[in-house]
Amino acid sequence: MCAGLTGFAQEQFTVKSKVLDDRKEPLPGVSVLEVGTQNGTTTDFNGNFVLKVASEKSILRVRFLGYQSIELAANKFGTSVSLVEATSDLQEVVVVGYGTLRKKDVTGSVSSVTKENLNKGATTSPLQQLAGKAAGVVITQTGSEPGTSPGIRIRGITSLIGGSDPLVVIDGIQGNLDLLNQLPPNEIESVDILKDASATAIYGSRGAPGVILVTTRKSEAGTSQIEYSSTVSIDMISKKLDMLTADQWRTQRSLWGVPVSADHGSNTDWYGLLTKTGSTQNHSIAIGGGSTNFNYRASVAAILQDGIVIHSNNQNYIGRFQATQKALNNKLILSANLSGSTVANTGSVASIGRAAFTSNLISNAYVSKPTDPVLNGDGTYFTDTNLFQYINPYAVAQTVQNNQTVNKMFGSLKADLEVTKGLTIGWFGSWRKLDGNTGYYLPAASTVASAIDQHGTANINNYHEDERLMDATLNYKKVIGDHSLDAIAVYEWQRQTYNGNFTQMKGFINDITTYNALQLGDFTRINSGDISSYKNDRTLISFLGRINYAFKNRYLLTASIRRDGSTVFGENNKWGNFPSVSGAWRLSEESFMKRVDFLNDLKVRVGYGVTGNQQGLYPQNSLQLVGSNGQTYFAGNQITNFGVTQNYNADLRWETRTQTNIGIDFALFNSRLSGSVDVYRATTSNLLFNYTVPQPPFPFSSIVANVGSLLNEGIDFNLNAAIIKTKDFNFSVNGNLSLLRNKVLKLSGSLNGVPLNTDYVPWGTSSYLIVGQPVGTFNILQHAGKDANNKETIVGETADGLYDGGDRSPLRKMEGSALPTYTYAFSPVISYKNFDLSMLFRGQGGNKIYNSVRSSFSYFENLGKSNLLASAVSTGLFTSPFSSDLWLEDGSFLRFDNLTVGYNFDTKQLKFIRNLRLSFTATNLAIFTKYTGLDPELNVSGASAIGATGGTGFGNDNGIYPRISSIAIGLNVTLK
Amino acid sequence: MKKIITLALLITLIMQSCTNVEEVVYDKFAAKEFYSTSTGADVALANVYSQIPGNWGGLGYVGADNGWYDVNSMSTDEQVVPHRTTGDWELTFAQMYLREWLPDHSQINNTWNWLYKSVFSANLAVDLLQKANADPSKIAEAKVMRAFFYYLLMDDFGNVPFYTDNNITVDKMPQKSRKDIFNFVVNELKDNVDKLSTTKGGNYYGRFNKWAGYALLAKTYLNAEVNTGTPMWAECLAACNKVSEGGFTLHSGALDATNPLGSKYFELFGDVCPDDETILAIYTKVDIVGRNILTIRSFGGTDGTNILGYSAWNGTICLPDFVKKFSDNDIRKHQFRYGPTPYGPKPAGFINYSLEVTNLDNPGAEPNAGARNQKFYPALPMNGGGASNDFPIYRYADIMLMQAECMVRTNDAATAKPLVDAIRVRAGLSGLAANPTLTDIYNERGFELSWEGHRREDMIRFGTFILAHGLAPAVDAHYNLFPIPTSALNANTNLKQNTGY
Repeated sequence: MCAGLTGFAQEQFTVKSKVLDDRKEPLPGVSVLEVGTQNGTTTDFNGNFVLKVASEKSILRVRFLGYQSIELAANKFGTSVSLVEATSDLQEVVVVGYGTLRKKDVTGSVSSVTKENLNKGATTSPLQQLAGKAAGVVITQTGSEPGTSPGIRIRGITSLIGGSDPLVVIDGIQGNLDLLNQLPPNEIESVDILKDASATAIYGSRGAPGVILVTTRKSEAGTSQIEYSSTVSIDMISKKLDMLTADQWRTQRSLWGVPVSADHGSNTDWYGLLTKTGSTQNHSIAIGGGSTNFNYRASVAAILQDGIVIHSNNQNYIGRFQATQKALNNKLILSANLSGSTVANTGSVASIGRAAFTSNLISNAYVSKPTDPVLNGDGTYFTDTNLFQYINPYAVAQTVQNNQTVNKMFGSLKADLEVTKGLTIGWFGSWRKLDGNTGYYLPAASTVASAIDQHGTANINNYHEDERLMDATLNYKKVIGDHSLDAIAVYEWQRQTYNGNFTQMKGFINDITTYNALQLGDFTRINSGDISSYKNDRTLISFLGRINYAFKNRYLLTASIRRDGSTVFGENNKWGNFPSVSGAWRLSEESFMKRVDFLNDLKVRVGYGVTGNQQGLYPQNSLQLVGSNGQTYFAGNQITNFGVTQNYNADLRWETRTQTNIGIDFALFNSRLSGSVDVYRATTSNLLFNYTVPQPPFPFSSIVANVGSLLNEGIDFNLNAAIIKTKDFNFSVNGNLSLLRNKVLKLSGSLNGVPLNTDYVPWGTSSYLIVGQPVGTFNILQHAGKDANNKETIVGETADGLYDGGDRSPLRKMEGSALPTYTYAFSPVISYKNFDLSMLFRGQGGNKIYNSVRSSFSYFENLGKSNLLASAVSTGLFTSPFSSDLWLEDGSFLRFDNLTVGYNFDTKQLKFIRNLRLSFTATNLAIFTKYTGLDPELNVSGASAIGATGGTGFGNDNGIYPRISSIAIGLNVTLK
Repeated sequence: MKKIITLALLITLIMQSCTNVEEVVYDKFAAKEFYSTSTGADVALANVYSQIPGNWGGLGYVGADNGWYDVNSMSTDEQVVPHRTTGDWELTFAQMYLREWLPDHSQINNTWNWLYKSVFSANLAVDLLQKANADPSKIAEAKVMRAFFYYLLMDDFGNVPFYTDNNITVDKMPQKSRKDIFNFVVNELKDNVDKLSTTKGGNYYGRFNKWAGYALLAKTYLNAEVNTGTPMWAECLAACNKVSEGGFTLHSGALDATNPLGSKYFELFGDVCPDDETILAIYTKVDIVGRNILTIRSFGGTDGTNILGYSAWNGTICLPDFVKKFSDNDIRKHQFRYGPTPYGPKPAGFINYSLEVTNLDNPGAEPNAGARNQKFYPALPMNGGGASNDFPIYRYADIMLMQAECMVRTNDAATAKPLVDAIRVRAGLSGLAANPTLTDIYNERGFELSWEGHRREDMIRFGTFILAHGLAPAVDAHYNLFPIPTSALNANTNLKQNTGY
């Protein structure tokens, strides 16, 4: 029987066997470890291994990625052992916040993405790796400016004032989306996204917008490795706007009465001058190793971006160290994490312009006339002195200094002690610090009017964030017969402190020192606003508990409760409760289902939870405060002008989001077809918003309050199909589809007896918050044509040009919303022998975009000072007093987002290399859309800044940094 | 089990000591404590004055753009910013001149919002000063400021919402008739102007003293017929005479080679408005307390660079029908720049502006078309965003012409003549040949007070506002009032729009 056994010495025992997969094909590179020792080996190309172990009773662990590990006594190995593929992700472990669960025990709606499934290529942010990978999780990249990250919305817009970003938790450290930028793309083991309230309620008043839980890579016991990976891409502009050429401009000039003097006789390609081919590089080295009691992993990564707009680049260097040590007979586990990063960014000017058009620098390049020269005869930058505040964008790009450095550090320590069997007490502490510094210098040579006036403007901005968190946990696990119980109680304390200062100086005699010597400026030019500092903080204290109960492994129940108290809540509402309950029934475990042999797994889930959102609340919102408002003149002196800073609201509190989720998880036909369907309905009540209030009795026209409510409901589908599965050739498709309906339920109510009559709130250009309609509904005037003077006319305008332009004007018609109603993605994956190929297609639709760029670049009244779109000729408008639906466009698109081809080399002949992979990735290969602007993927965050009464560019295209298409080559090497 | 209980107790203990979630403020003052001091009350009064200098975003009485001054000046015959054939300048200014304004016009909206923000600020100051038992003159000052803002609201918009207590709800804030607002302004002024300080200049420079208060009362009476249908010339004259008790005289109009425009007359519009003639001024220090853009907005780009050291905006012009009325002997004509030998500095390469302008909006005015105005010749410090000229809201020449007007209207033209003549003589002209007619008064007001924010009121009072002039067509009488802005109607659905809009 045991052909491979050879008694060598009394206490030595040699295991000789072969590891096969479930199709009886040998598995090379499988790790075999004698448990409790560092004695181990890996299988050769034919799956064979030989390992001398202490005795025939020694336990060997056989592990291979993508397969379920097995542990077997040495004398139980036959000529071969088979590993079963972990194809059904229902077997995987899922991180659920303050703990983990096997996926089959999960009762809420959670999407998990493991590192194998993350998007490949020269990614610069973990969110790019996740795009299109989870149903109901929409990741939006607006332009490709170096250092910028995509936005993310989980199941739609949950809040109106800036609180729709999910909470991010990396190995227990909580933070905002920026925390992800501190994570090298290579260091992610898995990402779990908690979507419904029964899953996120454990995060209480920060859980409403969803939670992203990231687990970083750790070294496995018995391994020791060095890994290098590198991706280098060439980045190109994917689309340019079709503007008038110099000759076309000249033709139009004579047609529209622009004086010849406006033609400066050149033929300049401003856009070409300001753009170039960019590159993105991603390098990382990781080392790691471990024994049974100890493991560590350290990595250093560099993410280097050189943007397609000149003088825009970003360098992000990240170092990480993680170690875990067990002691007291494995009863005590200590893990420490330390991560530091430094980011250096040189930014293109974000907001610049003349009276009529303000956008980023690159959009100003479109506006510049092709007939203007770049330089004067004497080599100085050309400006047209006949024009009001002319801007030469090339001069701006070449002379403006806009540099930022950010140093970030976070560390954490986790200690878990098993007090008695099943009872663990834990302590977790984390500390995150961020120190940022920006230096900005706008010299007179930039041609920007304010810089010429002030003889140069320099400023330095320092900002600091300090976030501390402490958890004390008590965890109890018990299995009694058919009952299993997992309960946890947590006390959590966290404080975030923000402070900083800003200093500005103007009037420099030359540009040599830029922003590095503010004292060289002219002190007589200092005015209020040139010097400022701030400090504020927020503390959140929470008590929470959760029970997971399972009966017979098929009836699952989870219940949780969290009580949060926060300093940012108003005096009258300091504490809130956030309960949840969810249950699941694993039908496939029932005996009557066992006969259905094509069914591998079937689970029905139902969940309900109450979560909160306090991200939209800033410190000091609930208090009536007096601050400075520049200077004024009184009683013969210039004095500080003090004034009330805001409307205050002592009742201010978190938003409450209640969500019901019903879902089904299934795996069929040997788990070759698996997926899930989730239906949800989520209502945000106590909706935070800057409600319009009568002025009086309020000093400002709006107040942050909790009045309205908002509904999101939808269906998320997720399907994975292994269509062909043979020894050499595999073909699978993963896809997801989300349908989402958003509706403003209520905006009006009363606040301390003052009726708030809020409706038709302007939310963007001609878009509104209207009760009964989705957020950002376009309620817009109807384009009719133009009059004899080429002025635009609208439907319903009287003969003498009178019209009702009011927000509720009957002339306005509702024409859809900026919010997509469906998003989808699908990803075919093919592997043939050592080759693999994967693609990602991603799309959305049902939304409209107001193309402000097109309207700004279409009016011939501006021809004398700016270039226009080629399409403006056929439109032929001189001017328009309206924002009409002429500029409203369909925002649907389908993007061929990623194509990766890889080859894994045979390494059995190589002495030092365990893994070697070469890959090519092309991104943004094609886009299918009717949208005429640069890119239909725009800011749909739905957010509005605090204190602002409208949305921030929601559904409006006012010019973006161009989006790139890139081709990348990637190399991965793991040394033996 | 014992272990568990001990542990649980321990954790509970820790928890209780760590549940404090009171908010601490590090970088601002708590309002309640701040305003309960007398310093705080003074600051509230200063805050009312801070509303008046011009700030970006259409804020303030004059000095920046897109606000009260542009609405009340560009709608008249004295100035306009035309759209240029080079693409410069949005059409909103030309629309004011051409009477194409609609209820959603941004400048009208800015004017409304600024005035109501100012009323709020004045209400707050009145309330805080009363609670702090402040000096009665300060309480009176805040009330007079509030009357000033209501006067401007009534003048532009007619029937407007009225409130004096910030702690009421919108349903208790009626849209009062123009007449009621008028009566409120008159009564409030009558009750309070005598409590104001009589000090001129110094601590009261830029503030409502007794004389400024009477000047406002006189203005109110002057326009009584427009606002209520009933003229009050005698009352106006009496209020003007009260102002005279303040001991004002006309500032010198003597030649002065050191003045860029050649006369001491232009000191009235310089860095500090002289106390002899000025009754109420707006203190201005560019970018620190407001700004004055009136000249840099007018000059062409290179004239700005060559004459002022900063590229100018090629904006405001004066139309020929207005400029041509000035006599060549009138030193006040030095405010204009046009032609090959303009008034003021003439450095190499200065621009020869044509007086004639043929189009304001489509295709617009040629780059160098239109006479420019330098009445507020930039006072230092200045930059491309404006200068530091103070601005006279009320000055004695205005009061004298008001007195003369009341006399002419009450058939006492002979008494009016020396008043009008004094102003003409100061400007280098001879006195009138005969007793002044209403037309003489109207024209003299145009010459003396151009660009000082009074023109619209004067044209309405003399019935010329809705007539055709320059490139502007004649319009219906409802244009004598501006429409209530669309956004105000959106926010308060109880408001009634002015007739005709």
